Order: sequence, then structure tokens, then C-alpha cells
Amino acid sequence: MNDTPTASDTVRLLAEQQGLGKALKLFPDGVKAAAERGLRPLGEFPKGTTSLNSPAPIFDPAQFERAK
Amino acid sequence: MTDLAYLGVAEGAALIRAKRLSPVEWTRALLDRIAAIDADYNAFLVVTAERALAQAKTAEAEIAKGRWRGPMHGVPYAAKDIFDIEGMATTCHSKIRMNHRAAADAFVVKKLRDAGAVLLGKVALHEFATGGPAFDLPWPPARNPWNRDLHPGGSSSGSGSALAAGMTPAALGTDTGGSVRNPATCCGIVGMKPTYGAISLAGVFPLTYSLDHVGPMTRTVEYNAILFHAIAGHDPHDPTSTRRDTPDCLTELKSGLKGPRIGVVEHFYTEDAAADLDQVRAIGEAAGVLQRLGAHVKAIRLSPLSLWTDCNRTIHQAESYAIHEKDVQERPEDFAALTRNRLLPGAFVSSAKYIKAQQLRAALCREFAEAMRDLDAVITLSSLLLPCRIDDPAAIAKTYDQQCRLVFNVTGTPAISVPTGFTASGIPLAMQIAGRAFGEPMVYRIAQGYCEATGFAGKRPPIRLPERAAARV
Repeated sequence: MNDTPTASDTVRLLAEQQGLGKALKLFPDGVKAAAERGLRPLGEFPKGTTSLNSPAPIFDPAQFERAK
Repeated sequence: MTDLAYLGVAEGAALIRAKRLSPVEWTRALLDRIAAIDADYNAFLVVTAERALAQAKTAEAEIAKGRWRGPMHGVPYAAKDIFDIEGMATTCHSKIRMNHRAAADAFVVKKLRDAGAVLLGKVALHEFATGGPAFDLPWPPARNPWNRDLHPGGSSSGSGSALAAGMTPAALGTDTGGSVRNPATCCGIVGMKPTYGAISLAGVFPLTYSLDHVGPMTRTVEYNAILFHAIAGHDPHDPTSTRRDTPDCLTELKSGLKGPRIGVVEHFYTEDAAADLDQVRAIGEAAGVLQRLGAHVKAIRLSPLSLWTDCNRTIHQAESYAIHEKDVQERPEDFAALTRNRLLPGAFVSSAKYIKAQQLRAALCREFAEAMRDLDAVITLSSLLLPCRIDDPAAIAKTYDQQCRLVFNVTGTPAISVPTGFTASGIPLAMQIAGRAFGEPMVYRIAQGYCEATGFAGKRPPIRLPERAAARV
């Protein structure tokens, strides 16, 4: 007996975890295709740049004071 | 006799100011035309005829008393139904929003009201500014006036359709991955996505907070610059709104093309993806025109188009899903299939992937800024392919991401779509001209110089009027 989950089991679990039970029931193919698109990894960063040395958006607490 | 259907913003405003044209007459002519032909194009979701005539009468009375408010006074326009207008539903072309009522005007709508412009109505879009031309919604999709069977582009589809069909001289659109420039490209008009923050997003239903832009849509470059000036400016209620003064796009608009340095991002459509040969031929010819007019033109390289697409789409998926999560979970059947299929992937985007996409965005923005150090603008294609049939969802899905527009949503820098000619069968072709952040004056100047030299902007599609209406419109 094989306990390894199939790809569709994984999608079903992920979808249910995301509250998409109804969408999965009504549009199973759409949810499967969406999972493939959403889970696809991001492309390679440009040469010389990585997600470690590329700054993330910076949180600036002062901007809220300026907004007032 | 003046052709009121295709009268432009500047000419109409000048005639109104000189009291040689009544804004009421212009508005009535356009309302008649909408009534006569829009059943073929489905551009308008709601026509605000009474309000339009009242606004036109007010404009006429004010101008008669010598109180001219500016270049949009008495000028009709249409708004994509994603902009709030007090007391009206902002449906976003969706069943889900049919019972909505806006409590106040969007910032840009208020700006235009204060400028004395005349709202003709609210126009169609792709549901929630995403998805595609859907036939499973309460309203039919807008049609392309150059060929009703073809996709008019989107998501600001009604804006593009209404302009090309001579139902309005100006329209408001929004652009997250190209939604102003795509209908401009497909419908043979001019659409500008300005710098992020140049135009307030307050009162506009969001699609993707960090990529959304409001954009002016018109039939010519000059009218577009006039509309841009009318709607740009700081809005204290929008945290993304810039405090910079709006750059003057009109003074130097017609100062020619001697001097600007223009990069051509050719590899997007010659190496990175397959493109339609007519589109490629037309942009090649456009580069030649720019060079003959005095611009310095050279090929440049950026990261591959697929990387820009990855970056834009990941941010788009994550942020748009955050907005629509509850409805996608609870009433997925109420979205059009095309919309649902574009929203659902966001449920599966991890937080790490989203953050990396934002980091990638910063890297790509730096790369673009570096490339622009020696340049005043770049040109590249808008759509890689020609518009497909509107009733072919597989073709829509296949062609939707075949474009170079989303690059400039990632950079947040200005980009305009201008016509570059037509195919043998009369389908509009187009390119983009893009510039530095807040470089709208240069982008408009190059667009104006090019369009003036080629005459492709402002061409009219073959609209057939019903006989009874033809006498009046």
C-alpha cells in the first residue's frame, strides 16, 4: 500500500486549507490550474542580485506622521 | 459643419470658450450617438444622460458669464465603472458589486467635476479590472469598433471602445498590468499610464495596490496630456499620492524630436517571446521615423520579459487575492470564469514568494533606472500579438500575458501606447513610449512628435450608423 499523496490530493488539501472547498467542488480544474500557477517558483533574479541583497520594501513609521 | 462625434478635447474646449459651440449641443450629440450605436459596441454600462445635460447647461451658463474653468470645461468624458461616483454603483462590471452605492466621488472624478467636465456615463471593463471579455456576467463585454469580432483589449475595454467609436472625446481608465494601454493598442487610440503616485487612486476599486495606476485615454496625444493635467495632483487621502508638482506636459509638447535619446527594447519581441510580424515591422518603422525626426535611437537590453512578467504576476496574484479572498471562498460561482481563473492562483502564492517578488521588483527598478541614465525614453511593443476573437476564451487566456506593458507597472514609470499603423485587414498596431519616473513631459513630447509625423492617431474605424440616426449624429 502506498501512502504517498497524489498531486491531486495535495491540491485538494492546499485548497481546503485556503477555504476553497466550494471552489474545488464547483470548479476542480480551475483550482488545480490555479495551484500550478500560484505554486510555480519565481524566476531567477538578475545577475549579481539575490533576494538577500535586494532590499525589501522598507517600512517607514514616519510616513504616518507626515500623512497627518 | 463640425463633426461632434470625433471632436477632440482641445478643439471642443476652444470652440466652447469662444462660444461657437454649446456644451449642451456637444453633449446631446454624443448622447444621441451612444443611443444610436452602442448596442453594437456595449461600451457603456450606464449612460448618465440627465446628469450630463445638467452639467453641460451649467458649463454653458458659467462660460456665458465669463467664468471659464479651464480646458475641460464643458468637455464630455466617460469613466470606467471602477471609479466611485457619489450615489451610483461602482459595479466593476461584476454581479458581486451590483448593489453597491458610492458615498463620495473618486478624487479624479471630483477633479473633473470641479474642472466643469461633463460625465456621459460609466463604461465597461473586464470584471474587477482583470479576467477578460466575459459572456457570463450581467452585462455583455465591450466590442472593438475596428472589428466587432475582435477583443477590444482590457481591462479598460469600454473606455477604448467608446473613444474609437466616437462616443466620447475622453475617458478614464486604470492600469495594473497594461489595462489602459491594451485597449488603446487594440482600439487605435492613445492611452497613458503615468508615474505611480502622479494620479490619486482614492475612490478607485483596487486590483493590486502596489501596481494600480489611473490613466487618461483619448484619441490624440495632446488631448491626453490635457486630461492628464486635469486629473493629476496631490491627494492627501491617498498615501501613494506624490507631493511633487505635476510636471508641465504641454509647454514643450510640440517642440520636436531633435535631441532625445531613445532606447529600443527589441529583445522583448525578437528574442524573449514570439511576436506578430506586423507589430514588429511597425515598431521598426517607428524607430526609423524617430531617427529621421532627429532622435538618437539605439537598441538596449533589460532583463528578459519573462522575469518582468513573473514579478508583475506574482504581486498581482497575491494582492488581488487578498482583496477578493472572501468572495472567492464563499461565492466563486458569481465571478466570470476568466476572472475566477485569474484570482484563484493568489490562494497558492506563499508569503516568501510574494516578498521575493517585491525584492525582485526593487532590483528590476534599479536596472531600469540604470539603463535610463543615458536615455530620455525607451520604446518597445505594447501587445506582442494582434487582438484575438472576443468569443474565444482559450485564445484570450493564451494571448493575455503576451505583452510588454506590465514592465512599466513594475517600474512605476510612465508609458504611453500610441498607434503605429494598421495591418492589411485594418487592425490597429501600436508601440509604447516609456520614460523616467515623473518624465511624462518627455514621453508626451516624443509621442506627439511621432504621431504628428505619421498621422496614425485619430484615425476612425468604419462605424455604420442606423439610417434614422445618421441624419442626426
